[in-house]
Amino acid sequence: MDNLRLPYWALCTALALAVTFVVRDPYLASIVNLISIAALVAVSLRFVMLIGELNFATAAFMGLGAYAAGAATTILHWPFALALVFGGVVAAAISIVFGYITLRTRGPYFLLIGFAFTEAVRILYSKSMALGGTSGMVGIFPPVGFDAWMPSLIMAVAAVLIFALYVLERSDFGKILTAIRDNENVARTVGLNILLCKVACFAIASFAAGIAGGLHAFANNVISPGDFSFLVAAFALAYVKVGGEDNIVGPLVGTILLVTLGSFALGLGGQEHIFYGAAIILAVLLLPDGITGLARRGYQRLAARKGH
Amino acid sequence: MQAAEQVLLRTKGLTRRFGGLVAVSDLDLEIRPREILGLIGPNGAGKSTTFNLISGFYKPSAGTLFVFGENCTGKSPLAISRMGLVRTFQHGSLMSSMSVRDNILLGTIHGVSGAARRRERTEETAAMLGLTPHLDNMAGTLPHGLQRLVSIGIAFAARPRLLCLDEPLTGLNQTEVADTLTVLERIRDEFACSILLVEHNMKAVMKVCDRIVVLHHGQHLASGTPAEIRNDRKVVEAYLGHRHDS
Amino acid sequence: MHTAIQLILTSLQIGAVYILFSLGLTLIFGVMRIVNFAHGHLFAISALVVAYTVPLLAGWNLPALPAYLLGVVAAVAVTLVLGFLMYVFGFRYFQRDMVGSFILSIGLVLLLDGVFLKVFGGAVRPVPEILPGTVTILGAPVTAQRLALCVAAVIITALLYWAMTRTKLGKALRAVSIDHEAAMLQGVPYGRIAFAGFMIASALAALAGALIAPVTIVSPAIGADYLIKGFIAVIVGGLGSVPGAILGGLFVAAIETVGGFYFDATSATIAIFLLVIVVLLVRPKGLLGHG
Repeated sequence: MDNLRLPYWALCTALALAVTFVVRDPYLASIVNLISIAALVAVSLRFVMLIGELNFATAAFMGLGAYAAGAATTILHWPFALALVFGGVVAAAISIVFGYITLRTRGPYFLLIGFAFTEAVRILYSKSMALGGTSGMVGIFPPVGFDAWMPSLIMAVAAVLIFALYVLERSDFGKILTAIRDNENVARTVGLNILLCKVACFAIASFAAGIAGGLHAFANNVISPGDFSFLVAAFALAYVKVGGEDNIVGPLVGTILLVTLGSFALGLGGQEHIFYGAAIILAVLLLPDGITGLARRGYQRLAARKGH
Repeated sequence: MQAAEQVLLRTKGLTRRFGGLVAVSDLDLEIRPREILGLIGPNGAGKSTTFNLISGFYKPSAGTLFVFGENCTGKSPLAISRMGLVRTFQHGSLMSSMSVRDNILLGTIHGVSGAARRRERTEETAAMLGLTPHLDNMAGTLPHGLQRLVSIGIAFAARPRLLCLDEPLTGLNQTEVADTLTVLERIRDEFACSILLVEHNMKAVMKVCDRIVVLHHGQHLASGTPAEIRNDRKVVEAYLGHRHDS
Repeated sequence: MHTAIQLILTSLQIGAVYILFSLGLTLIFGVMRIVNFAHGHLFAISALVVAYTVPLLAGWNLPALPAYLLGVVAAVAVTLVLGFLMYVFGFRYFQRDMVGSFILSIGLVLLLDGVFLKVFGGAVRPVPEILPGTVTILGAPVTAQRLALCVAAVIITALLYWAMTRTKLGKALRAVSIDHEAAMLQGVPYGRIAFAGFMIASALAALAGALIAPVTIVSPAIGADYLIKGFIAVIVGGLGSVPGAILGGLFVAAIETVGGFYFDATSATIAIFLLVIVVLLVRPKGLLGHG
């Protein structure tokens, strides 16, 4: 295991939690929740990018987690924590079956099948009366008294999962994932079960997406099929690309920046799509390594100048 | 079982057809313990196909494949590699965006448990290949000769019983070729590992191999010690004839 | 028997549009190895322009058919301009970069979604009937408009097929999609061919959009549904394969029609998805995909 930079993580998590303690305005709190959840989804999307695949089914697994947590709460009356974990487990379990079939394909096939899956699952929710049909599922409340602490709780859960994904990325397992992206055949010839590692990567990412879905359900109390369209994955991709995909910090920076800008500058009106679309286009055309890549290069140039 | 222990790999009548084309035909091949076996032949003789058949990347159209005495006909590349037969690829046999250390480490993951022991194995392998000074460099930024050594390093880090190298000397200069050959001899002598070497550099093959098998048009043409092969009339004709054609 | 003929005719009508749509997707993928999610917006803008101009021209007392034909010309022109802009300012830089081009296309999808909504508004636009009346084929009635759509789609597909196999450009397009490096060594100018392939695909999307406009409800979101079906068709048929796109388009249309008739639209969509899973299990590169 490489150096995990624990002090940085501890400091940043403490800062983020401090923000959630200070924010008391409901609108601001909703934006903080949005950032926590979107960051978790973006990091989950990036985790599958480690094996070189774009996972548009992220949106579907977030939705499955949200509906599973919602059903566990409203229909089965399970306790909050159990319902949340249940959402992640359901998403991971379905992703294992889905991944085992689809991860034999690569590149465009995997991408498009994930996209189709997202839409198919969405149709299933909207046709299921037990899940509320097109109007969605209502009344997914966290325990009484938790309301005031929800932003802190959501931030804490997201931070723990993001850190866990970071630890996995830095472990030998993470190195196998990068090796699969770089040169799958070499990894196969030294005795590594590539399909198994891919499915594991996919299931771990889907668990995180499922938890993100559950958090979304408890944060909004209402979910509907429209919340989990492929746009969820498209936005997550925007966060990853604008922030930079080389490092886990990238999607975090991208999420904070774009969600904040999107919320404050445009008030989340009908222009939201234009804003995100333009951000993605400009990022891929002008900043191929994202903001963190630009910052790193700037820092290196500065260091080089100092050295002279 | 005695015979099985003496032969690491044996093929009987191994055949592979692609549509109407017979790439490898009725090939009998044997690799013994502690030997470097050269597999040579003009372009299109079926060397790469043979390589892919042995490592499980192609399924044979006919014939059988025994690896370490076990019938492996039709087994997956994963199953065969886990038995201790590890191969490299002719083009790009490494992970260019990862450090040399992580590249070699990858070879240790399946066979070695425990981070500390993997690290130890990685460093030991790097030292043997002379890669220690480059451990923390990105593999893709190394000069071509060192990249070839990294490829061997990844495969050898798995400590195979049979190491199959697909043209490991292509594009190397004379010093690099000599260094690589020394490494191959050490792998054979110090680790009792046999090596199957597909290579175009005739001088190197003649120098390092214990035995040589010559393929021509997908068929076995000749086999023997380097000296025998050098003086084999059929082999000389096959090579000269090929040159004449092209 | 009557039902069977009716179902076959309906499948062919829907399939005709899917085929035009997936031919464009497969052509772009074959030549440039990119996945263009904004292809649906090329289709949508064409349908929108038709839906916008035909009532306008009809208001100037132009008869329906000339008004429609003028609308089609305008739609194709506008779509080609949009396609040209997409290529020159975007996809040109992402040749053979699947991830990069896809991300760019997602950006375009979001941007164009917003722009279309601003320019055309969210309301649906009806297009007046162009060819009135119905025709009876083997005892099953078909509206003249839908029949014309099918005939036009068959002619366009046949023309494309002929061009791909017989013309110099078509041969170059196929050579590039099989092995672009070998094609370049043979002297095929890759950049020009890629551009030509992208523009032909844009033109196919434009024609599909213009043809569908009179027989459906046009809204800025019209591209999304066809995009999903079109991509499923090319996955089933094999990305990059022209016969595969035709086969896949018909397959998806047939399942949608038959499933929709005996069950409901939802079951049909789920059935299409299951079909894709089965195809991928058996042939991970599609029915006619190679490699």
